[in-house]
Amino acid sequence: MGELRQEARAAWAIARKELQVFARYRLNAVNQVIQPLYQTLIPGVLLGATFAIGGQAVGLAETAGTTDIVGYLFLGMLALNLASAGFWSVAFSIKQELDAGTLEPAWLTPTRRETFVVGMTAAGLVLAVIATVILVLIGIWLFGADLAPRLLIALPVLAISAFGVLGIGYLVGALVLRMRDANFFVDAADFIFVALSGAAFPIVVLPDLVQWVSYLLPTTHALDLMRVSALDTPPLLPLPIEWLLLVVTSAALLVVGRAAWLRTEHRLRVRGTLGQH
Amino acid sequence: MNAASVIADARAFWAATRKEWRILRRYPGNLLSFIFWPIALPLAYVFQAQAFSGGRDDTMAAFMERTGTNEVAGFLFVGWATYMWLSIVLWGPGTALRTEQIRGSLEAIFLTPASRLVVLFGPAISQLVWAVWIFVVVGVALWIGFGVSIGPVEALRALTVIVVGVPALYAIGALFGAVVLRFGEVHALVQGVRGLFTAVCGMSFPIIVLPDWAQVVALSLPPTYLIADLRAVLLTGSGVGRILGDLAILAGMGAVLAVAAVVAFRRTELHARRGGRLAQY
Amino acid sequence: MPAIAIEAAGLTKDFEKGRRTVWQRLRRERDRRERFRAVDGVDLHVEAGEIFGILGPNGAGKTTTMRMLATLLEPTSGQATVLGHDLVTEARAIRRRLGAVLSGERSLYWKLTARENLEYFAALYHVPPAETKGRIAEILEIVHLTDRADDYVEKYSTGMRQRLVLARALLPAPSLLLLDEPTVGLDPQAARDLRERVVQLREEGRTVLLTTHYMEEADQLCDRIAIVDHGRIVALDTPAGLKRDLNATEVVRLELHGPERSDAALVARLESAGQVAQRTRENGTLHLTVHCQSARELVPLVIDAARAEDAELANIQVQPVSLEDVFISLTGRALRE
Repeated sequence: MGELRQEARAAWAIARKELQVFARYRLNAVNQVIQPLYQTLIPGVLLGATFAIGGQAVGLAETAGTTDIVGYLFLGMLALNLASAGFWSVAFSIKQELDAGTLEPAWLTPTRRETFVVGMTAAGLVLAVIATVILVLIGIWLFGADLAPRLLIALPVLAISAFGVLGIGYLVGALVLRMRDANFFVDAADFIFVALSGAAFPIVVLPDLVQWVSYLLPTTHALDLMRVSALDTPPLLPLPIEWLLLVVTSAALLVVGRAAWLRTEHRLRVRGTLGQH
Repeated sequence: MNAASVIADARAFWAATRKEWRILRRYPGNLLSFIFWPIALPLAYVFQAQAFSGGRDDTMAAFMERTGTNEVAGFLFVGWATYMWLSIVLWGPGTALRTEQIRGSLEAIFLTPASRLVVLFGPAISQLVWAVWIFVVVGVALWIGFGVSIGPVEALRALTVIVVGVPALYAIGALFGAVVLRFGEVHALVQGVRGLFTAVCGMSFPIIVLPDWAQVVALSLPPTYLIADLRAVLLTGSGVGRILGDLAILAGMGAVLAVAAVVAFRRTELHARRGGRLAQY
Repeated sequence: MPAIAIEAAGLTKDFEKGRRTVWQRLRRERDRRERFRAVDGVDLHVEAGEIFGILGPNGAGKTTTMRMLATLLEPTSGQATVLGHDLVTEARAIRRRLGAVLSGERSLYWKLTARENLEYFAALYHVPPAETKGRIAEILEIVHLTDRADDYVEKYSTGMRQRLVLARALLPAPSLLLLDEPTVGLDPQAARDLRERVVQLREEGRTVLLTTHYMEEADQLCDRIAIVDHGRIVALDTPAGLKRDLNATEVVRLELHGPERSDAALVARLESAGQVAQRTRENGTLHLTVHCQSARELVPLVIDAARAEDAELANIQVQPVSLEDVFISLTGRALRE
C-alpha cells in the first residue's frame, strides 16, 4: 500500500511537471485548443453547408440522426482530444525527454518506469478535458450548437475511456522508445484512430470491414454515448452493449499496451539504447 | 551580379536542394508521410461529405450548384493537395532558417558569398519536388479510387495555374522566413496563418458558403484563387482562357509579395548584423 | 549499511553492432550482427566509505560499467551486488539508496526552476512529502545554489547546472554515489569545487564510485583506483601502490637528435639504469620516456650514451611518476590518445 501511494505521488509529480512545462509555452498551449477549430471544425461545418437544403443538414439527419452539424462535430472533438492525450502526450513528452537527456536521470530513481506513462497520460487527459470543454463552449456560444451536455454521463464515460487512453499511451511510449523517428507513425495512427472513432463523420458511412475496426476502439463508444446524451441521436448499438464495449475495449487496449511497454522496457535494459538518442 | 555569380548561385540552389533530398531520404517516416497524408486527409473529408449528402439527390444537387461539379472526391482532393503544398511552403523557409539559427549554422551560411536569395528561397525550391509529388499521388488516388481521370491537357492547364501561383505562395513563405529571423519562435504565428487559410480559402468548401465578410477576406488571399482555378481546369474542363482574370490577380499578388519579402529580409539581415542576432537563439 | 558497497564478479557486457530490419525479424533470420564486448569480465570490490576510481581512456568501458551498476543496463553475464542487493533482481531496491550523475548538466529541465527540478525528482525518489521541503533547502545550501533556487535552469551557467545535478543525486540521502566523468566540461575552479565536494561526501560516510580520464583527478581523490582498458581491469590498487608497482619513482623524458641507426644502441645503454617505457621518432628527433628510481643516476648515463652514439641531447624533463605513466607501462598507450 505504501509503495502504491509512493507511485501515485510520483505519477502526480510527473503529470504536474508536464503541465508546468506546457503552461510555460503559452502560445503553444493556446494553439493546442484553437487548432482543431480551424483545422477540422470550421472546414467540416462549411462542407456541411455545401450540402445543406434550406439551411438544414438534411443529409446528416439520414446518416447520424441529427441536423445539428455544429453540435455533432464539436462533440466529436472529444474523441480527437482524448486520442491525442494518449498519442501525443506520451509520444511528445518521451521524445522531448530523450532529446533533452532528462529521461535517463528520471529512470535512475526507484519510481517504476511505467509510472511515467501514467503521469504523462494523466497530464494529457487533463489538457484534453480542458480543451474539449472550451471548444464545446465556443460551439454553443459562437456557432449556435444546440448541445445539452448532460455532464453526469460525461464523468463515467471519461473515467472508463481513460483506461483505454492509458493503453494507447503505453503502446505509443513503447514505439517511441524503440524507433529513432516515430513521428509519422504516431501522427498517422492518431489520425486513423480519430477518424475511425467517428469524430468527423458517423461510422456508418465507412465500408463494413472498416466499421468492425471502429467498434474495437473505446473512443467510438465514448463519443457515441456522449452524442446520444447531448443530441438525442440514435445509438450505434443498444445502450447496454455500448457501455459493455466501452469497458471491454478500454481494458483490452490497456492490457495490450502495457504488455508492449514492459517488453520494450526490458529490451532497453538489455540493449542500453536509452542514452543514445 | 555577373554570369559567374549567377552560375555560382544556381549551383548553391542545387546544393541546397540535394541536401534537403538527402535528409528527407534518411528519415523513412518523411517519405511515408508524403504518400499517406495526400490520400488520408482528403479521404476523411470524402467520408464526411458522404455523411452530409446522406445519399440524397437533393443534397447532391445543392453541392453541384454551389461548386460547379458533382465530383465530390475530386473537389476535396484538389483542395487538400493544395493545403498540403501550402503547409510545406509556409513551413519550409521559416523553419529552415530557424533550424539553422538554432543549430548555430546560420552565421556560417551568412559568411559565405552565396546570394541571400539562395538562403531564403533555396529550401522552398527544393520542396517543389515534393509539391509535384503530392499532386501526382492525388491524381493517381483519384483515378484508382474514384475513377476520376485527369488527362494530359488538364494536367498541363493545372501546371500553368501552379506556375502562376508559385511566386505568391513562396513569397509568403519567404516573408515568414524574414519574420522568423527577426522575432524568433513563430510556430504559433504560422499555425495561425495556416488556420486562416484553411478556414477561408475553400480547401474543403466553395467560398460561396462563407458569410459575406469572410468572402472578402478569402478573395484577398492567393490560395483562394489557386484552389478555385485548379478545380476549374481539372474538374469542370475549363480552359486557361476562362480563368485569365484570376491568373492575372494571382500573378499580381505574387509580384507584390515577392518584393515585400525581399525588402523585409534585407531589413532583417541588417538589423541582425547590427545587433549580433544571427548567432542568437 | 553493509561493509561492502559493491561486489562484482565477471561482469560482462556485449552489444550488437547495427540494427536488424523489420523484414529480417519477420523472416526470423539468424542474428548475424557483429558483437562487441564493451566490458570483459570485470571484478570489483568497493568498500563502504571509500572513494573508488575507474580510470581509463575513452571507450575503455567505464561508462558501460557505471550504467550497469546504476541498473540502467543489464549485464550479459556475471554477478553483482550493490549495497547488499542483487543487481538484476533487486534493481529498484538499489535505486532507492543510490545517487548518480551520469549524463551531466544536459539532463535538467530548463523550463523549470532549480527548486522545481528538485521537487520533481524528490517525488520520483519517493522522499516523504513531509521531508521534501527541508531536504531540498539543505541540499541547495550544500551546493551553494540557495539564492538562485528560483531561477529557471536555462539561465544557469554550466558550473551551476553541474552543481544542481549533484544536488539531485543527493536527494535520496544516498549511501552510494556514482559519478561518471563529473568534471568534464567544467572550468578549473568549478572542477576544483566539485572535487572538494566529493571528498566531503566521503567524510559524511558515503561511498563514491567515480570514473574519469583525468589521471590527476584520480590521483588526488581516490582511495583506490582500477585502471581499465578495452573493457578489462588491468591494474587495481591505491594510487601510491600503482606507482610503486612501476618500480620507479621518477620519469625522465628525453629528446635526442641523432641518426636513426643509433636508436637501439642508445636505448640498450639506458636500460641499465631504468626502463624505457615509450620510444617514438618524429622529424629526426628520438623521444624517450624512461622510468627510473633516480634521475640523478640516469642523467650522466644519458649524456655518455648520447656522446657515444653521436647524438645530441636536445631536451630533458624530470617528473615524479604519475598514473599516466602507470597506464602507459601497462598498455603502451597514453590515457589521452
